[in-house]
Amino acid sequence: MSMAVSAAPARRFLAQHRGVAVAAVVFLILLAVVDLISAGPLSYFDISFLASGGATSALAAIGQTIVILSGGFDLSAGAVISLVNVVLAQSMDPADMEASIMLWTAVGIGIGMATGAVNGFFIAVLRLQPIVVTLSTMFIIQGVTLLIMDKPGGFVSPSLGTFYLGDAITGYLPMPIAVIGVVLLLWAWLKNTRLGTAIYAVGSDMEAATAVGVSTVLTRFLVYVIAGGCYGLAGVFISAQTGSGDPLVGNPLLLSMFAAVVVGGTRLGGGRGGPLGSAIGAFVLMIVVNILLVLNISAYYSTIAEAAILLLAVLAGSISESSTLAQQLRALKTRLQARRAGTLVSQLPQQDRRLALAPSTKAIALGTPPSFLTRNAETLRYALPAYICFVLVVLVTQFWLGNTVLNPGYWNSLIVLSSFLAILALGQGTVILTGGLDLSVPWTIGLCGIILAGMVKGSDAALLYALPAVLLLACLIGLINGLGIVFLGLSPIVMTLATNGLLQGVALLYSNGTPDGFSSPMLRWFMTGRIWIFTPVVLFMVAFVVFAVALLGRTAFGRRIYGIGNGVRAAQLSGIAVGRHLVLVYVLSSLCAGLVGVLLTGFSGQASLGMGDDYLLPSIAVVVVGGALITGGRGHYLGMLGGVLLLTALQTFLAGTTLPYATRAILFGLVVLGAVIALRDRRS
Amino acid sequence: MKITARLKTLALGTALAASLISGATGVQAAEKFKIFLSMSFIGNDWQAEAANMVKAMAAHKSLADKVDLQVQVAGPNAQRQIQQINAMVQAGAQAIVIFPISPTALNQVVKNACDKGVKVFAYDGEITEPCAHNISIDQEEAGRVTAEWLVKKLNGKGDIVLVTGVPGTSVDNLRTKAAKEVFAKHPDIKIVGEAVGMWSQAVARTELSKITATRSWDQINGLWMQAGCYTANAMQLEAGKTAEQLLPCAGEGSNGGRIQMLPAGTEVEGAASPYAPLGAPRISYASPPYSGGLALKLAVQALEGKDVPKRVTLPLPLVTNDTVKLCKEGTWQEMKDGCNVFLPSLVSNPGWFASIFSAETPEIGLNAALVGQPEN
Repeated sequence: MSMAVSAAPARRFLAQHRGVAVAAVVFLILLAVVDLISAGPLSYFDISFLASGGATSALAAIGQTIVILSGGFDLSAGAVISLVNVVLAQSMDPADMEASIMLWTAVGIGIGMATGAVNGFFIAVLRLQPIVVTLSTMFIIQGVTLLIMDKPGGFVSPSLGTFYLGDAITGYLPMPIAVIGVVLLLWAWLKNTRLGTAIYAVGSDMEAATAVGVSTVLTRFLVYVIAGGCYGLAGVFISAQTGSGDPLVGNPLLLSMFAAVVVGGTRLGGGRGGPLGSAIGAFVLMIVVNILLVLNISAYYSTIAEAAILLLAVLAGSISESSTLAQQLRALKTRLQARRAGTLVSQLPQQDRRLALAPSTKAIALGTPPSFLTRNAETLRYALPAYICFVLVVLVTQFWLGNTVLNPGYWNSLIVLSSFLAILALGQGTVILTGGLDLSVPWTIGLCGIILAGMVKGSDAALLYALPAVLLLACLIGLINGLGIVFLGLSPIVMTLATNGLLQGVALLYSNGTPDGFSSPMLRWFMTGRIWIFTPVVLFMVAFVVFAVALLGRTAFGRRIYGIGNGVRAAQLSGIAVGRHLVLVYVLSSLCAGLVGVLLTGFSGQASLGMGDDYLLPSIAVVVVGGALITGGRGHYLGMLGGVLLLTALQTFLAGTTLPYATRAILFGLVVLGAVIALRDRRS
Repeated sequence: MKITARLKTLALGTALAASLISGATGVQAAEKFKIFLSMSFIGNDWQAEAANMVKAMAAHKSLADKVDLQVQVAGPNAQRQIQQINAMVQAGAQAIVIFPISPTALNQVVKNACDKGVKVFAYDGEITEPCAHNISIDQEEAGRVTAEWLVKKLNGKGDIVLVTGVPGTSVDNLRTKAAKEVFAKHPDIKIVGEAVGMWSQAVARTELSKITATRSWDQINGLWMQAGCYTANAMQLEAGKTAEQLLPCAGEGSNGGRIQMLPAGTEVEGAASPYAPLGAPRISYASPPYSGGLALKLAVQALEGKDVPKRVTLPLPLVTNDTVKLCKEGTWQEMKDGCNVFLPSLVSNPGWFASIFSAETPEIGLNAALVGQPEN
């Protein structure tokens, strides 16, 4: 065969599998670095360790990838892993050293598939948004997990460990690699069946898939079941690896799972990529632990180093003629050339080129304008469920705990506690309206709070310059996010996840691990004092809500955001400067997060590391519960506000009861799920 | 592969040359014990303080030429800690000091490390694998003693609110269960609210705000918290209570909380309400952050061939209004003489943990906890 003939298919093959190839190359480079710097050469033993270290993440990431390929999103993955772990650890007989591997593996996969079926039912059959369904099931599963086992313990038979951590071929093939290989082979088979094609089709374009006769309901349902099976297997693997149960073991795997998927070259939003890349991505993230160790990177810098590796790995995957960066550079070049030639639009003499229309002499009869209800029917339909549920929760609180509806103190507390999420909802909500997601919220809050407290040190005078300085810093963070997303073409999840790690490192370095300083009296009064019966921040929130509604509903900026969310291409062709507006959106989000950092510092009196950690998932949840579409383009701030009030009222109610945490988590998940069932998309 | 091998030879050659030039120091460095610290999530006050104390211990003159310490962070993910411990063993660790993310998930990897002759020391949390050394307080005792104090303070009668730690962890489970057993013995003690506090002052503030939204402070008689008494006192003052009316609170050993325990009106440099003496009725206990430093010291002793017990149960640091005493400088000697709270001018973060004294660790004092500097 001549070279010319074989080169073209090879190039096409590479182009199709660029993501996987880059992930594999990155992994091999990292492996070589570890091998080069560490004391001895890497033995089979070391490789087998690496294999077992990354296997749980890899298996879970494979499941997550299949969901993402179909255009979905699964937040319950980590919780399922914990659930399988505790079920196995709780039900195995401690005396049985030779428990059946087949049986317990089947049990684990079965549990995973069952949870996947629940997700699939709500998402595929009831057509609810994946992110909020899986968020609810995540809480419910976490609750169930804690009911089964409320603290680490239990027993997993060593026979599982011997099998899953052992060798498939002694000295050549560690079992974890073999297990992952079998799963990937199954996928390779599935991919070429009708279902496999359907998964890619549904993820690429749901409408088109329906039009050509793909059963989207069945496809999406099966996707979650298959993914659940993968999480189940990951749960079995971690049980074998640890030999015991821990109800919290799987939860922190969630974020790194998404990172693995992205590093592996799968596009968030669906249609492109595959599980092989994600499995390699999981190993890339795991070997970073070894890299940090051999390079002896100090603890404070470790999150920064990880963020850098994540960014570099993803950027490496996108370098090509058609990448966003290359496009931006080309555009810049053309622009400079045009400027030199004097043909840039802004350099041309300005002429009014509008069509001259004859001024109308008589008023056009418009007829009766449609009623308020008709005009806002869609907004109301999506915003109302949150408010209805909110009223229900308040009534339940009144009957259960009393002292609610007529107690001004209750409403005051509710609004003060809501203020943080209500402000975040504007930022996160606007980002979601454009189809993005801002994961840098936690440490933007943390860093801004810590720096504010450090600058203010209890002085009102210092607040006058510290506040603008901190808010400026927040804008800068948003600018970094925005520029990374727009000019480097990084996916919002990757960019903001990396920024979050970077900010955590900066916060640790700035505070040296112990944040000092405290809020000034004025700021504290603002969050905890009283004007008559209301805390000052309550009055501020009224103004903020008016501002937010006006910003999104009454300004050109707001209309352009909705335009971008409904279709970037269409927005571009309508003359919207998409790039500039996206950057602005991330600046707004960081500004909101920075403001929350300031207010939280006032509320608590001081700032602490990790004070923003509890606000990430809720900030996304309230936006979606309030009727916004996670893929962008639909949503109203008042709806999101309803989501904020519902969640806060629900938490307030649960905190007032003496129900165990597990029950609360389950109730919380059920209420959120109930609220969004009312939001479901009816097929027109 | 060939290039790798060549580079390696090159690196080896350079290292050899360097050691020849540096001579004696090279030999000395080779004699140092290679010890690793595997921490959990670094983004909270306790973890950072404990890490400072480990670093200070390693830098102390008695250990500085014996120990080569490397600190690594595993984050909140047990899976990563497993990987990290493996990598440490691979990198030739002689001892590993661990803040265990899970008491059970690390068992296999720890056993594997032990089998290779690596000494494993866990601080604060516990590793249930028998070959590991565990250095921690008795969590059940902590829950029981503080609950008994509260019952006594309330004369066995009253409505109380509990603020617990991170659900699903052994530490939270043991403390809360032990406390509830005490409360159950007193039928007139009623638990009217229970919030999940996540061991964070900031979370305690939002949770207590939620509880007091429907139940005023007057309808509560006492508080049992794993962290947050400082915040609870601040909130009561904001709600218009005077210092004399503060509710009895059994809780954590933060410096802010201890300063509030000093009699109202005590002259304290740097104090500003609510980080000020209030005479707040309190019992203060803590998981002491020096445990990591002690673990390192014991690890070195074990490497030197001394016999080190598998389980070291640290004395529970308890401070009540009768025993609270202000330190002037915070040296180890001064703490040995009985002081247990530090000036706000020295410790500006009220959430900072004040239980840093151990009779076993004269190497580390206030500066160790604050900036990682050992005593002289």
